[in-house]
Amino acid sequence: MRDIKDTKSIGARINTVLTYVVMIFFTVMAIYPLLWLVMNSFKTTTEFQMNKLGFPKEWVLVNYQDAWVRGKFPRLILNSFIYTGVTTVATLVFSFMAAFAFAKIPNRSTKYLHGSFVIGLLLTLQSIMVPLFLIINWVGLYNTSLGVLIPYIGIAMPMGIYLGTEFIKSIPDALVESARIDGATYWKIFISIIVPMAAPVAVTVAIMTVTGTWNEFMLINILTSSDALKSLPVGVQKFAGALSSDFGKQFAALVIGLVPMLVFYLSFRKEITKGVAAGAVKG
Amino acid sequence: MTGFKRISVLALAVLMVVTSVFAQGTKEDAAAGKQIELTVLNYIDMSEPNSANDITMVWDKFEAENPDIKLVREDLFNEPFHQKTEAYVASGQVPDVLYMWPSGRSTSLHTTKSVKDLKPFLEKDGLFDQYNPATVAPQFAGYLAMLPNGVTTTHMLYVNTKVLRDNGLAIPKSYADMKAMVAPLKAKGIDLIAMDNMDAWVMQSCLFSMVVGRFGGVDWYERLAAGKISFTDEWFVKSLDLIDDMYKSGMINRNSLTSPYGSSRGSFAAGKAAFYIDGDWSTGAFQTDITTGKALISPALQQSDFELMVIPNLPGEVIHNSNSGVVGTGWGMSANIPAGSAKEAAAWRLIKYLQGEYVQTYRLSTGASFPSNLNVDVEKVVKERNLEPFIAKRAAYYAAHTPISPVVDGVLHSDVYNVINVGLQEIGLGSKAPKQVASEVQKAWDTWKKNQ
Repeated sequence: MRDIKDTKSIGARINTVLTYVVMIFFTVMAIYPLLWLVMNSFKTTTEFQMNKLGFPKEWVLVNYQDAWVRGKFPRLILNSFIYTGVTTVATLVFSFMAAFAFAKIPNRSTKYLHGSFVIGLLLTLQSIMVPLFLIINWVGLYNTSLGVLIPYIGIAMPMGIYLGTEFIKSIPDALVESARIDGATYWKIFISIIVPMAAPVAVTVAIMTVTGTWNEFMLINILTSSDALKSLPVGVQKFAGALSSDFGKQFAALVIGLVPMLVFYLSFRKEITKGVAAGAVKG
Repeated sequence: MTGFKRISVLALAVLMVVTSVFAQGTKEDAAAGKQIELTVLNYIDMSEPNSANDITMVWDKFEAENPDIKLVREDLFNEPFHQKTEAYVASGQVPDVLYMWPSGRSTSLHTTKSVKDLKPFLEKDGLFDQYNPATVAPQFAGYLAMLPNGVTTTHMLYVNTKVLRDNGLAIPKSYADMKAMVAPLKAKGIDLIAMDNMDAWVMQSCLFSMVVGRFGGVDWYERLAAGKISFTDEWFVKSLDLIDDMYKSGMINRNSLTSPYGSSRGSFAAGKAAFYIDGDWSTGAFQTDITTGKALISPALQQSDFELMVIPNLPGEVIHNSNSGVVGTGWGMSANIPAGSAKEAAAWRLIKYLQGEYVQTYRLSTGASFPSNLNVDVEKVVKERNLEPFIAKRAAYYAAHTPISPVVDGVLHSDVYNVINVGLQEIGLGSKAPKQVASEVQKAWDTWKKNQ
């Protein structure tokens, strides 16, 4: 008995050690590129060319100073916050209103209307880029933030409606019917019953919308020409290219672009994990 | 109203207010007044040391000197620039003045004739003869769609003469001389040639195009297009054989195939390789960064320990001392501007300024480009402004290495040059023989021609 116990104990220990080794390996794989980026953002291009892996011999802050000023990052970051905030709030409000109607107030046109939204999931950004550019020009919204926000919200809504509809369908009809019998309006039912119950999937939609909008650069690049309306990813792209000559500033710009998302993740990591898990189950 | 309903309505109202305030656009949209407004699509690498100066030295100066013109400039770089250009072309709303390539990435601007022919403008102002003839020749669509900054040579052999001196070697006069240097340098742990071949275009553009010109002559493309020669002929197979030989003999290390573009400049500057192969545009990367005051190669060492040249005589070459080159990037004018209008005059004034003596002298002094405007006296500028030695050496290099043969990806379609690019990497890896690659290129060429 004692031998078996000892063997189990050794096996368990080996198992634990192996688990740690694998986890540490993947952690290093994930974190090292970020550390490398941060470390090299403090080097001059000359030092980077001579010493790509080591710590900087001299920590240079001028890369950040130059990138911040030349890239006009304060304005770009503010724009990114506005685009992301407005798009996320609007997507949640409009998607869940539509999802509630599709799931609980069906009529003959529901499947067509629902389908017309959900088909948006199949469209790539590249396929709609030029038509969108033409339409935005035609309606006079080119180079305005409204001309960016409307497509952003429109592009985020299919996923919101799809996930929202599927989730709300799983809420028993009896709840809605009971509330109707008690005299509640659909608006009241939506606000008092559906919204609180759909909170987990709303978090999933919010996370997807926040990350998608924050990182989006193709549309904002196409639909605006003024620096005052562009967002962070476009600013970062001005420093990053195959023929870029100054790696220090390029890395500094990339770090600046990375920080807000990193802060977002660290602040909401529990909610993000829960939200992704909820989305995975319900999606 | 319940509390939640009130909050929802309030949130929507705030959203609408924020959106509409934010949607008002910028002050510059409204303040144009009686000025002629020109939209400009500019290409700028913000990481480049002189990019901040470009704004004040070039753009702000123009606006100060031309108060009747209002510039609405859009600065983009790399892929975002090209995506935006394609969107503009597709919508038929090309900016009034825009940065463009003579072919390649600006093909759609040429083929749709979205930009005007600038030759009549040059002739009307008596400026046609003031530009390097190669830069005012007809371009991709058969006319002068843009006025180039200059000519770019895609092959430059950077030489670390100190490494050669320290090892009892001299600047090579032939390919055989270079090959003979492999063994003594290797014994000391020094590579002969540093090159970054992970990206397939580097070998094709920075070395192979020059080699193809040496074996095929300056007019190889014209003869190929006329069906007088093919890719399976000796000129092309010999060119591929030479690359194969460079890898096999250790002149170029096979490890270079895992090296990202630009990454071996440091090791070359530090003396870990005797030569470095890149395009002429990379001289700027070795010069002093004005923001940090540091240089990969200091001006003193640029003068004493480094030279710029091309690979010397190749065995069996039909032209000697040649280089490969393309007309550089430049500025075009939207075809949408009405002929004879004030806007057209303003746009032409801007293009003349951008390719005039002042801006081209400034660009020469920053190492950004070598002038197409013949009024720029390069030697005088170098002396008067005490420019870094690489700029003066670059001027001597252009004068010393002619003729210029076409760059492969500047004349062939991507369906064909991509096969060459991949083939060169396969030769580097040792997985394909030159003759095999040559026949694959010929097949791609035949298919492309058949589809035209």
